Formats: sequence, C-alpha cells, structure tokens
Amino acid sequence: MKPDMPLPVLEASSIVKRFGGAVAVDDVSIAVSAGEIHAVVGENGAGKSTLMRVLAGILTADQGTVKVGGELLEGGAKGSLEAGIALVHQELSLIPEMTVAENIMLGSTPTSYGFIRTRQLKAAAAEALDEIGVSVDLNESVARLSVALRQFVEIARAVARKPRVLILDEPTATLTPAETDHLLAMLQRLANRGMAIIYISHRIPEVFTICTTITVLRDGKVVDSTPLVETTPSAVIDKMVGRELSLDLSSRRVATPGALVLSARGIRAHNVNGVDLDVRSGEIIGLGGLVGAGRTELVRAIVGADPRYGGTVTLWVDGHPRNITSYQPAVRAGIGYVPEERRTDGLALTMSVSDNIALPNRRELSSAGVILAGKTARFASNLADAVGLRPPVITRDVGEYSGGNQQKVVIAKWLGRKPRFIVLDEPTRGVDVGAKAEIHRIVRELADNGAAVLVVSSDLPELLELSDVIHVVRDGRITGTLSAADANEKSVMSLASGENLVGA
Amino acid sequence: MKLGTEQSGLLGRVRNLAARRTEGRGLILLALVIIVVAILEPTAFTAYSVTLGRVALIGLVALGLTAVILMGELDLSVASTLAVSGVIMASIPDLGLGIVVALAAGILIGIVNAVFVVYVGINSFIATLGMLFALRGLAFVISDEKPVRLSNIDAGIAFGAPLIGPVTPRVLIFIVAFIALQVFLTRVRAGREFYAVGGNRQAAFDAGIPVRRRIFTGFMISGFVAALAGVINTLERTAADPTAGSSVLLASFAAAIIGGVVLTGGRGSVVGTLIGALSLGILQVALTLSGVQTDIQDIFIGSILLIAVITDPTQLRAAAASVRSFFQRREKAQIPT
Ligand SMILES: Nc1ncnc2c1ncn2[C@@H]1O[C@H](COP(=O)(O)OP(=O)(O)OP(=O)(O)O)[C@@H](O)[C@H]1O
Ligand SMILES: [Mg+2]
Repeated sequence: MKPDMPLPVLEASSIVKRFGGAVAVDDVSIAVSAGEIHAVVGENGAGKSTLMRVLAGILTADQGTVKVGGELLEGGAKGSLEAGIALVHQELSLIPEMTVAENIMLGSTPTSYGFIRTRQLKAAAAEALDEIGVSVDLNESVARLSVALRQFVEIARAVARKPRVLILDEPTATLTPAETDHLLAMLQRLANRGMAIIYISHRIPEVFTICTTITVLRDGKVVDSTPLVETTPSAVIDKMVGRELSLDLSSRRVATPGALVLSARGIRAHNVNGVDLDVRSGEIIGLGGLVGAGRTELVRAIVGADPRYGGTVTLWVDGHPRNITSYQPAVRAGIGYVPEERRTDGLALTMSVSDNIALPNRRELSSAGVILAGKTARFASNLADAVGLRPPVITRDVGEYSGGNQQKVVIAKWLGRKPRFIVLDEPTRGVDVGAKAEIHRIVRELADNGAAVLVVSSDLPELLELSDVIHVVRDGRITGTLSAADANEKSVMSLASGENLVGA
Repeated sequence: MKLGTEQSGLLGRVRNLAARRTEGRGLILLALVIIVVAILEPTAFTAYSVTLGRVALIGLVALGLTAVILMGELDLSVASTLAVSGVIMASIPDLGLGIVVALAAGILIGIVNAVFVVYVGINSFIATLGMLFALRGLAFVISDEKPVRLSNIDAGIAFGAPLIGPVTPRVLIFIVAFIALQVFLTRVRAGREFYAVGGNRQAAFDAGIPVRRRIFTGFMISGFVAALAGVINTLERTAADPTAGSSVLLASFAAAIIGGVVLTGGRGSVVGTLIGALSLGILQVALTLSGVQTDIQDIFIGSILLIAVITDPTQLRAAAASVRSFFQRREKAQIPT
C-alpha cells in the first residue's frame, strides 16, 4: 500500500499539554513527511492550535517530544524556527506599524554588523511574495492592508523562512473563494517541491481538494489518522463530533417579512459610496461581495460604530422612528452588532465569559446599580448553552477559549439583548461545522421571532443558505439584489466581481 | 492569478506617507509655536543659544525615554537617575573617573529597572515609580542633602563655553545622541525591533525576536541617556544638586507625547520627540523672556500637551462624531411628535 514512505520530516510523539487542570492536548503523536499536505481537523477547542504552538516551540509540552529530521527540538520559538518549522497563526500576528517588507522578514532581518540591509530585506520579501503569487507594495504599512492581504503577508513571512515544515492554522477563514483557490494551488506547488505542510481548516471540502493525509482531533486526542483516499467527508465529520450529525443543512426558512425595522438612506462613509438599505422584521438580508468591497465599513456606519460622512439611519421602535447617529444610543435602542474582528472589537479577553455576556445587559441584570451575581450567572449559562459553548464554564476567561468558542461568546452576548435589529459580520468565521449549523439555527430563530437581521458573509454557501434577500456590494455600492430563489454562487460572484460570469 | 493592491498614484502615496508618519501633529504644533513666538516674542530666536540649550536640556532625556516608550513600557525613574548620577560624579574627585562611574550607574539603573519588569514581572509604571523614590532618596543620602560642588570647577566652566557658534558641548551631545538613536531605531535591526516589541509583543516573540533582551536594551539606553544629562548638568553648573531634574520628568514625557510617540508602544519616532522638544523649548524660552512666571508656563505646556493629544486623528474623528450626534439629537428633540 505505502511502498517506500519517506522518513518523516516532523515527528511528534505522545505530546501532552495541560492548561491548569484541563488537558488541551492529550497524548498526541503525529508525523509529516516531505511533500505531504497533512490536514488536522477537529471541533472548536479540540486542541489543534495548541498542538501547533507546541510544534512551533511557542508552548512547551508537559510531556512528549518533537523531532525534526531526526533531531530533538529545543530552544523555544527560536529553536523551532531555526530547525525549519514555520507557523502561520490562527490570529493575525503582524506588527501593524511596520511595512510589509519588514513584517515578512520579522525575526530574520538580514543585517551586516547589526545594521539592516534594506535592499536585501526588500529583495527577500519580494521573493517570498512572488513565491506565493501576491503583489503588495513592500513599503505599505500593514495597518493599511485588508484582512485578506494581511493573511497573505503572514504566509509570505512563513515561506520566506524557507521552512521544511509549514504549518497553517485556519489560513482561509478570512479569504474569498478565489483567494482560497489561489492559496490552495500555491500550497500544492510548495508540497510538490518537497515541503511538508500541516493544514488546519474547518472547511472540509478544502481539505479534500489538497490534502494527502488527515488527522482528526477530538477533546485533545487523535481519533483518526488516515490517508485521505481512505475516508470521506461525512466520515470525517462524524469522527470530529463523535456522533452522527443530524443537521438538515438545506432547510430553508419560509420568510415572512413584517414591518420595516431599519432603513438606511444615502449612507456614505470610508469606502462606502451611497447605500440605501431596508430591513424588515422577520427578514434576513445577506450582504455578499468580495473582501474589501466595503461591507464591513457599511454595517459599521449603519450601527454608528464608525462615523458617517452622510446619510441617515432610522430604526423603528414600536412604530416610532428613531434617528441612529452613534453607537451607544443605537445599542440602547435595540441594535446588536457582532463585529468581524472579535478579538479587538467584540470581547474583553481578560474577563470571564459571564462578564462578557453580561456586558451589554447590565441594566437587566442589576438592581439599583448593583449587578446581581446569581441572575447574571443563570443568564450567562443559559446563553452559553444556547450557542453551544465548549466547555460551558462561564467563569473562565474568554481569552482561554479557542477561536471558534470566542465567536460563540460574542454571539451569546448579543442574543441576550433580544435585539430588534442585529448585524452579524462573518458570524461563523473559524467556527466548526457543528457550531456553524448551531449558529445558523440561532440566526434563523432570531428572525422567526421578529428580529430584522443583516448578515455579512464571505462564505457563499452560508450566505445563500441564510439570506432571504442578498444585496451584493462592490466598491462601496450595492450593485445588485437577488432574491433567495434567484441567488446562486455564480450570480452572486458575477455581481461581486463585476464580471459577467453567467451569460455571454 | 495575481492578488494584491494596485500601486496608487502620487496623491495616494502622499496620503499613505501622511498616514504612516506620526510626527504630523507635532510638526503643525511646532509651526504654530514658531509663528506665534516670532510675532509676539522674536527675541527667543535672536537669543538662539539660550533656546538651543533649553531644547537640549528637555530633549536629551526625552530621547532616551522614547526608546522605552516605543516598546510600550514607561520609565519614570529618569529624573532621579539624572540627579543621582550627577551627585555620584561630583562626589568622585577625579573628573574623568566620576563621569565614567556616573554613566555606568545610569546603565546599571536601567538594568535594575529591566530586571523588575522582565524577570519579576512588575508593571514598568510601578517598577520605575519605585526606582524614582529610591534613587531620589539615594541622591539625598550621598550628597548629604546639599549640592555637591565639582572639585574641578575649571573643567565645568570650559564645558559651558560654546564650541562653534552657539553650539555648546551640551547641544553637540544632544545632536549626537539624536543622530545615534535615530540611526539605531531605523537602521539597526535591534532598534527597529523595538517597534515590533511595542506593536505586538506576542507576534514579536513568536517571530523569534529576543523580546526580553530588547526590553533590557531599551531601559539601559534610557538610564544611560538620563545619566548623561546628569553629567552635563553637573558640568555646566559646576555642582550637582540632589533635587535636580524635578521638572525634567514631566517635560520629557510631554516632548515625546507632543511628538506623536504613543504611550502604548509601537508608534512614534525620535524625530517626533525632537519636534516635541523644540516646541516646548521655544515656548518656554519665549515665555520666560516675556516675563511669564514658571507656574503660568506650566499651564501653557499642559495646554499644548492636551492639544497635541486631542488632535490625534482618531480622537478627532470620535470627537466630531459625538458633537454631530449631540446636535442631531437636539434637532430631533425639536420635532414635535
Ligand atoms: N492560554 C490558555 N489557557 C487556558 N486554556 C487554554 C489556553 N489556550 C487554549 N486553551 C484551551 O485548550 C483547548 C484547546 O484549544 P485550541 O485553541 O487548541 O483549540 P482549537 O482546536 O484550535 O479550536 P478552534 O477551532 O476554535 O481554533 C480549549 O479547551 C481551550 O479552551
Ligand atoms: Mg485554533
């Protein structure tokens, strides 16, 4: 079956990593050979990122060893880098104020006598960008790049190190389908040249396009590790969740739009050039488009989180119009906003889950200005259950939860307010399949209970599945509107890119 | 397929530059100060040697401080370091040895600060606040609470004299320190990595940057520069005053902040700090020349500092939005319902 398997480049044996009492990685062994693309999948909190941080030397394992090319790894992050392991983190880890070139070469800046060799720095950075087929101004500061470009800059940084093992932790979460395809093709190219790649993703179809081997983690343990040809997507999903997932993903809601809840007129803001938008009670409006089309800017301007240059937003509260001008009053009037950048905008990472959930609901949870502890705990744990937080320990700091679980906390926080109008920007980015279905169910339920819902998503299947109406945004304008019946991947993409992919 | 940004035109490039640089506000403020002073108190410019000396006094400590602030840390002990190093220097009879020991003391203080911050894990505000008190006490103990006269007074007098034109050794040292730090922070890898440590410490660590060593270097620079300022002060005044530098701490922080150095780290430059020091120095000299008392001068400096912070573009945007919403609410309230 496997004639002469090459010796593994990376070999981790019996890795154990605990956080306090909890075991995040439990006796995991994994081996990756040159030219192999090895998928690691699992639910949110399964321990994928923790395992990768151990491999990259950022965390020290409590037990077990990591070998690269037969040599034992030591010396922390630096030692691993030198041994040829490069990790692209799940969270963006660039220095916003530095240029693209400096970020790509961060930690391996070429010098002579301590002085930076600028020309060589730029040449090496340009080479790395070239290798991954992306063109960005080398002198641009990273703070001014789109999220997708930042992701590619990070990948360029890993590639610039000419690693033997390249680890990517959910690299496609922020990418559009076209960008994803580009990335996958690039990884295949690198693997063909003999690089060993570990690839983490919640998007099972991606995994089946490029990977050669798949390891499934559940609760910190390896539950399966096989060549990809010997398994199927549904078998993988079953192993991930440890039960048969009985979700009807194609169930479409029958929308019954009611009264107008929110109407935005002539919205202009940074990257937004005049948008009219109405959302009715019981209706889910989807905003489609490419990353950088101005959707996030649009919704931020609508809820008042960013200043508007022009336009008005009216929220109908029990039949009365209210002008929405800034964020705080908007929230008080019943607007909910789940932001795209949850780590910076949506959560207080050093506060507990229950404090985070209680944050926008302080009024309801306090009496005479004092927060009622018991009521808060009940309130928070009900909501944590509703979104399927794992583990459902509401006293733990949010920062200790895995990326996908953090997203659930943000959503739980706003659910508690029973908003009249709620905006969800990329609600399931980085969320595992089970939790994604769960979040979709919650969003539908919100609409069924009369809320007006606006969803921004770059995940086309998700957008198509959730929305009653899809507005496609390009260059800060709505360039087309599709009803649920007319919308499909092609029609949305052609409006989003401005190219006629459908007819012609 | 190629992904990426399109190269923007000249206008876009100018806009990019403006967005990237942090000195803009400081520069505008400096221009305003220069214009106002030129109209109201032009003697501040004719007496440029005084003004330059003042700028160098405020600016030197601020330069060292900038290195620490860029990493998102604070060093409140600079003023006490200045005092203690001056006293140490004056207490040693041999001038050369005194200077060397004083400067070494500055570096040592930096190391102690860094040990507290890096290894003990104390917040740098608190660690250096402790050092502020401890060192001030030490300066009083060594000096027996009296100014210590320099044994070699001639050297001090010679030091105060201008070298070329208005450039006294103090000004020259300031210029050299400025250039050295500017080169270090923009051209030397270790210095450039200060920005990474301040901008995103976890990311810097993950990329293999020796974060702890960088923090040590920063505090050592700050301690050394503060000691250097102490040495210069002692030479110029031919005596070391244990209470010296009490106004230096606030002025040097003000200079850095006016120059656009962000206290949380990662943003700013020594060019900005220089601009801040120039604004403050010119303003102070002009006010002194027009007979304004030092207490009143402080009110001016405070106002300038607040203006500099308030006019931060992000702050401005937030302020504009809240003003707008205030008026829109007003408008609405007038509509009868
Ligand atoms: N710094 C930390 N302190 C305490 N617990 C942690 C810490 N980091 C991770 N954990 C816990 O370890 C477990 C594994 O987390 P990890 O981030 O590896 O999950 P993951 O598989 O990457 O999930 P996701 O798909 O959501 O990114 C989780 O239960 C998480 O709460
Ligand atoms: Mg993860």
